Amino acid sequence: MNSSALREGTARVLFSAAAAVSVVAVVLICLFLFVNGVPAMAEIGVPEFLLGAIWRPANGLYGIFPMIVGSIYVTVGAVIVGVPAGLLCAIFLSRFAGARMAMLLAPGVELLAGIPSVVYGFFGLIIMVPIIRGLAPGHGPSLLVAALLLGIMILPTVITVARNALDAVPRRYYEGALALGADHERAVFCVVVPAAASGLLAAVVLAVGRAIGETMAVIMVAGNQPVIPGSLLDGVRTLTANIALEMGYAAGLHREALVATGVVLFVLILLITLFLNAARKRGGR
Amino acid sequence: MKKLTRALALCVVLALGACALTGCAPSPGSSGGASAGGASSDASAPSGPISVYAREDGSGTRGAFIELFGIEQKDASGQKVDLTIPSAAITNSTAVMMTSVASDPNAIGYLSLGSLDDTVRALSIDGAEPTAANVKSGVYQIARPFNIVMTEDASPAARDLAAFIMSAEGQAIVEENGYVSVAEGDSYVPSGMEGKVVVAGSSSVTPVMEKLAEAYRAANPGMTVEVQQSDSTTGVNMALEGTCDIGMASRDLKDEEKGAGAQATVIAQDGIAVIVSQESSIDDLSTEQVMEIYTGAITNWDDLI
Amino acid sequence: MRRLSRVLRWLVYAGAALTAAVLLAITGFVLINGIPHLTPSLFEWTYTSDNVSLMPALVGTLLMAALALLMAVPVGVGAAIYLVEYAPRGSRFVRAVRMTSETLQGIPSIIYGLFGMLLFVTALGWGLSLLAGACTLAVMVLPVVVRTTEEALMAVPDGYREGGFALGAGRLRVVARCALPSAAPGILGGVVLALGRCVGEVAALLFTAGTVAQVPDLLGAGPAGLFDSCRTLAVHLYVLASEGLHIDEAYATAVVLLAVVMVLNGVAALATRMMEVRDRG
Repeated sequence: MNSSALREGTARVLFSAAAAVSVVAVVLICLFLFVNGVPAMAEIGVPEFLLGAIWRPANGLYGIFPMIVGSIYVTVGAVIVGVPAGLLCAIFLSRFAGARMAMLLAPGVELLAGIPSVVYGFFGLIIMVPIIRGLAPGHGPSLLVAALLLGIMILPTVITVARNALDAVPRRYYEGALALGADHERAVFCVVVPAAASGLLAAVVLAVGRAIGETMAVIMVAGNQPVIPGSLLDGVRTLTANIALEMGYAAGLHREALVATGVVLFVLILLITLFLNAARKRGGR
Repeated sequence: MKKLTRALALCVVLALGACALTGCAPSPGSSGGASAGGASSDASAPSGPISVYAREDGSGTRGAFIELFGIEQKDASGQKVDLTIPSAAITNSTAVMMTSVASDPNAIGYLSLGSLDDTVRALSIDGAEPTAANVKSGVYQIARPFNIVMTEDASPAARDLAAFIMSAEGQAIVEENGYVSVAEGDSYVPSGMEGKVVVAGSSSVTPVMEKLAEAYRAANPGMTVEVQQSDSTTGVNMALEGTCDIGMASRDLKDEEKGAGAQATVIAQDGIAVIVSQESSIDDLSTEQVMEIYTGAITNWDDLI
Repeated sequence: MRRLSRVLRWLVYAGAALTAAVLLAITGFVLINGIPHLTPSLFEWTYTSDNVSLMPALVGTLLMAALALLMAVPVGVGAAIYLVEYAPRGSRFVRAVRMTSETLQGIPSIIYGLFGMLLFVTALGWGLSLLAGACTLAVMVLPVVVRTTEEALMAVPDGYREGGFALGAGRLRVVARCALPSAAPGILGGVVLALGRCVGEVAALLFTAGTVAQVPDLLGAGPAGLFDSCRTLAVHLYVLASEGLHIDEAYATAVVLLAVVMVLNGVAALATRMMEVRDRG
């Protein structure tokens, strides 16, 4: 066999092995989660577990419905806050900003990505909670603060990924639009943005993933009451908060119920990924 | 020219935004010294709904609190039920508890006496002030044990560290850090042993354990002590599994833990302080009142007689 | 027509301004609270409960991040190369990889922590250690690297590759000489993003690397030092903050953490620029 064919073959095998790693990782994580979580779900009873409204492990009541709703509320809130601002900022950096402005803002965005969530948590606790309390006396840690804080936290993810996608759109698209008489704004919004749709969608998926999975910061500002919030100003407990709050103390069925909470979270994320994949396919690439 | 105007406008918007976000809220948790020493002059009687803050289920602090105030009650079938109202905000650490209560004049919360600082105010309960001295003399009864947990086959090095903790020197360190000593031990004689001890468990015990470990290392330069901070249950389990030599727990051991071979030694008592904001003028509550607030019988400061 | 354009323009500016305001607010918050408490004692070599020095944590952060990226970047870039350059478009394997790497991205770090604890710490018996933490982080940032590398490779015009093939180069050579170099800035961006996640991670590390404030003894004990427990700056910050005894020092630590992130980003930006200059030259 000649040496270049051998090299090519080895490279192909190595690269495909690397690609297989993420499949293996997911299978392992699945295995671990399901083996530990599903028996508990069966023991509690699936409807009681998923739709039960009371979470009181000390008395054998394991209903995570309020947490499922809580996670969805908080994530939707964060997406409403963070995604438009993030996408607009990415468009700004990619197509509007002068070189100097981009040089200032882009490293700042990278800096935001590197700040640990504990710091965001303290920021929320010390700055945002008192502001909300000032506006609505009697309320503080709440769904609103959690959503706002998470919206801020997903900004760097949205901006970085979306900007890469926008930058990757070939220049001739934009120039073609200009040649047809569109002005700068319309060329960007009607030609460049649709061309980058797949990447922008990826940015949103990532953002949803980060928002739904964020733990340390949300725990500090959300109030964590295991009750379905009646308004934006009520406290809320997310699935991640439920795991993080109690995992350290839990034993036996309680611990397994928390792992089962992880399973639900996992399935939720899987559904979102599937849904957005389907959307992307329909959007066509 | 147009570009310049645009840049200027942007700068103005930025500056305004930043001011709005940073400027209007002072940071109460950070400076601390603002209102040192007792009630501040601008304190006012709180009124309106009570913001109840609690720790997470399973926390040693919460466990002791609900038990001592009778918030944990037996229901008809004889099962113990934690009646903390579901609308209580849950904080997952002492720092978050303190910061939340400090900035909310209508709040009430609780924490370890050893962690108390002057950003919040500790209430007297039934007239007894929460101080280490009062815990020791039994005047202030809201207290819980700090335990270290070992198994039968603990290493000699681990036993030596435990001996140091219970000695006169070790107990003096406990006192210095605001906790209550439990033994009048003899003076410690350095063993000159060499080796490594891993201590793991309750985040409430960790600060004083670090001090103890440092003093122990100073006495026995051949020893290394690793202190891993997690929580009581993890600490006990790790000690049972042998992943660590000594577990730390800020609560009494459960029966199943004792059955698995865990042996606990009380190394200190820690009071639990009920706290309010410095802006609140409340000084004193009865056990009954605290219980009623936490079970939801009283939900408004105005209803507190 | 014109009005719509103006509205769009102002919307874009508002988005950028909001981001900048958030950036200023958060960095301002950290700096105002932290800088007054930056004392020399925070930088002493050994940690004690009095000085709560962040030095061991700083070294721990660098070790942990380097080790994690050492594992994640080659695997992630390799995976992306396979997906973009080798795999038949739309094959079942490609779809599976893409699905799973998107799923991995969505998994909360706390679940990674539990997974790492079960696999590395308990099943493989590594204990709470540098290695277990780094492996967990590597799995966690893998999809970030895969995704960004993929995007960057896809952005390389096919003409580059066709040119390479036309000159008779093999696939490996085309990838190494044509595709990778022009995708390098994008890949670096992904690495920085991954680095950011490593540096900022807390939940996953609490369960896998422990919280001991010592520098792993890699010099003295060699590879055995990989099995020492250590903490990163973010974990240090979390531990300091959680008991409320050292809030001021926690803010000071946050300032140092910001500085570390800035330096890392600066280095990456510099590398990117150098590469662009080289490409042009």
